[in-house]
Amino acid sequence: MNADSRAVRSSSFSRIVNTAGVYGIALLFLVLGLLLQLTGAIGNFLSVQNMLNIVDAVALVGIVAVGMSFVTYSGHYADMSVPTTMGFTGYICIELLRYGFLPAILGALVVGLLIGLLNGFVIGKFKANPIIWTLAVNYVTLGIIRLVWVNKQIYPDLQGSGQAAVALFDSIYRLRFFHLIGLPLVILIILVVVGQFVLTRTSFGVKLKVTGSALRAAKFSGIDVERVILVSFVLAAFTATIAGLAVTSLSRVGAWYNGAGYDFKAVTAIVIGGMTLAGGRGSILGVLGGSLIIGILNNIMTLVGIGTFSQDMVRGAIFIIVVGINAVSLRSLGRDDA
Amino acid sequence: MTERETGPALEMKNVSKRFPGTIAVDDVSFEVSPGEVHALVGENGAGKSTLMKVLAGSFDDYTGTIAVNGRVETLHSPTMAKKCGIGMIYQELSLARPISITENLLAGRLPRRGFLLDKKRAREQAQELLQHVGLDLNVDLPIEDISQHEAQLVEIAKVLGNKPSILVMDEPTSALSREEVDRLFAIIGNLKKQRIAIVYISHHLPEIFRIADRVTVMRDAKKIATKSITEVSREEIVQMMVGRSVKEFYKRSERSLGDVRLTVRGLTRLGFFHDVSFQARRGEIIGICGLSGAGRTELARVLVGLDKAEEGTIELDGKPVKGSSMAAFLEQGIAYLTEDRKIEGLCLRLAVDDNILSAIIDRLSSASVFSKSRGAPLVERLIGELAIYPPDPSRTVGNLSGGNQQKVLLAKWLASEPRVLILDEPTRGVDIGAKLTIHTSIEKLAREGCTVLLISSDLPELVGLCDRVIIMRKGHFTREMNYSECSEESLLLAANGEGSA
Repeated sequence: MNADSRAVRSSSFSRIVNTAGVYGIALLFLVLGLLLQLTGAIGNFLSVQNMLNIVDAVALVGIVAVGMSFVTYSGHYADMSVPTTMGFTGYICIELLRYGFLPAILGALVVGLLIGLLNGFVIGKFKANPIIWTLAVNYVTLGIIRLVWVNKQIYPDLQGSGQAAVALFDSIYRLRFFHLIGLPLVILIILVVVGQFVLTRTSFGVKLKVTGSALRAAKFSGIDVERVILVSFVLAAFTATIAGLAVTSLSRVGAWYNGAGYDFKAVTAIVIGGMTLAGGRGSILGVLGGSLIIGILNNIMTLVGIGTFSQDMVRGAIFIIVVGINAVSLRSLGRDDA
Repeated sequence: MTERETGPALEMKNVSKRFPGTIAVDDVSFEVSPGEVHALVGENGAGKSTLMKVLAGSFDDYTGTIAVNGRVETLHSPTMAKKCGIGMIYQELSLARPISITENLLAGRLPRRGFLLDKKRAREQAQELLQHVGLDLNVDLPIEDISQHEAQLVEIAKVLGNKPSILVMDEPTSALSREEVDRLFAIIGNLKKQRIAIVYISHHLPEIFRIADRVTVMRDAKKIATKSITEVSREEIVQMMVGRSVKEFYKRSERSLGDVRLTVRGLTRLGFFHDVSFQARRGEIIGICGLSGAGRTELARVLVGLDKAEEGTIELDGKPVKGSSMAAFLEQGIAYLTEDRKIEGLCLRLAVDDNILSAIIDRLSSASVFSKSRGAPLVERLIGELAIYPPDPSRTVGNLSGGNQQKVLLAKWLASEPRVLILDEPTRGVDIGAKLTIHTSIEKLAREGCTVLLISSDLPELVGLCDRVIIMRKGHFTREMNYSECSEESLLLAANGEGSA
């Protein structure tokens, strides 16, 4: 009894250390930014406005990452349809704003959930390769956007009947509690708390863990793996839709490129946060830490004056390094099945 | 083959291999002469597989010396081991399933003509290799289109193609039927004539007495003894393996049978089994005996809802079983312990408790909130009951020995409190200690009223545990034997279609 509880404690202890490690790295990046400011390489890193910039960027990446981490945890790597899911739901919302704020939001959510259902159904039921399938959905959706809106960006109608709705929509991104905390951040915190609970404490979370660790064993344990996979893709699409609405509110325009890059930013945040691409390992709290790191890093790179393309290169390199370290450390755990 | 005919082909001296926290091979010396079959036995976790992995070049940090044909070699990589003429045949096949037999056999050394592959010559070479193992197959077939036991022989042919002077066989017969075992032993006889040194790892003692010249017993990472096969008895080997004497392996306890629980009528899955009917009572252990390919696993898959039967009915306690998924069948109390422990059975990356509770997640949840602590006493009880070692619920299952993994798999199904438990080869490749524990808990389960269907190729197991044994042959139930009629010999004869039918 005694030895058992000690072992349990030590394993949850190491989990906390791992999560803490992610936040430690985030802190190191903050210190790096501070040092760069002290040496005069960048100006006002530590200003309130810049910290708010970081937090806002973290909120958007984090919202996408929290949902997508369910897909990663289920052993299906990532949802690559996130960018156009974000873009598409933005168009839908702006189109529907003339009928009021709530119908617009609900309409966007319904469309987002449909994309998630489609992804989850096809990948769960027919065992489609998740990356290839969601990538295909991404491009099909992109095609639909360009076809329907004839390759145009659309703007909310400021003159017509939906003025009040437009004003409300506008405030999604701009609403600040106590002049500081933006609505996306509040949403992110709620999602992290709920997500962590779902992942660790609900029957769905436990089934997801078993499924992500060994799909066939899960099936042979009587777990409805198809449903578990379906739900995880629906969750990814749900948070992508929320992030899509926030971005659209920020830019005040429905554009196909609104979600560009969020797929990879989110995956990188997830992997940095300690969730392995093999599935069944990691936590939502870790993913939040990963999003923080990505947000701070982006901010520093922008302040230093590194161009967008070079930033992509840096993120890509970090992704490769983290996945590499992960793979090596998993391998060195060494399994002797003698 | 070699210039040295007198010295040993392989000489391992004071070899040790440590893993973080444990020592897997402790100061072991071991030698094999050319043309000798040297059996290596021990319970799971005794260190024999690790010792052979050292030989295969899997580790670059072992200590001690290894001499091959009199020359000391540093076996720090698989390439090096291969170069020294060491061939390994594992239980798990190393064949690529989608590509052809030829390409598998000649991987890395396909004959060329200029820049192009010489397909004709490749086919001839492949055919020749297959002849060594007595197989006559179309070498263009992909591995996935041939049977498991044919694939096993292809694997052996592949390793022989590298012309090894030392050959290690790890449980080569575990997936083979009796005729195939005979064929394999004939092959081994040929290899002996070619003065190849063979290390033969097996749990199956009768086999060892048939083909081995010497036997080395390992226990707890150490070598216990090396004996000539003519100077030891089966009991002595078992005693050295377990460190205690297993006087009577099977002690039958009295069980009373209850009402009919499972009724199967005219069950047919075309091409696999036909018109299968039987009844099973509460508390009854029914064995299903047959050669590989007789349709036993296919029958099990239908009985647990994984596959659908074309005809026939399954009734549980007088009511037809509802639904068509494994989850639905499980909910009604039909559980299935698969023969494929590593892929279908366990989540190797998860902890012992996660695995044990994985089939009862919904039962431990209220309003979708899962309570692991509610399952903790159950996990603790099962770990104790099955003597799972180490007795630590948070230990990763992949790091346990094979026998303990199998116990965890059984614990998972015991936790689900099934009404009918179908066991498919529950003790294959498992050491004697674990086997004993598993048998005890199967008996206990039956005493508590569960109906057990035991599919097994282990004849003593069937004879020792079952109330009745049904013989399955080529997809049909051909015979049924009571406990009193059962013996290893009678079962074997019946499974082969001999004896009175």
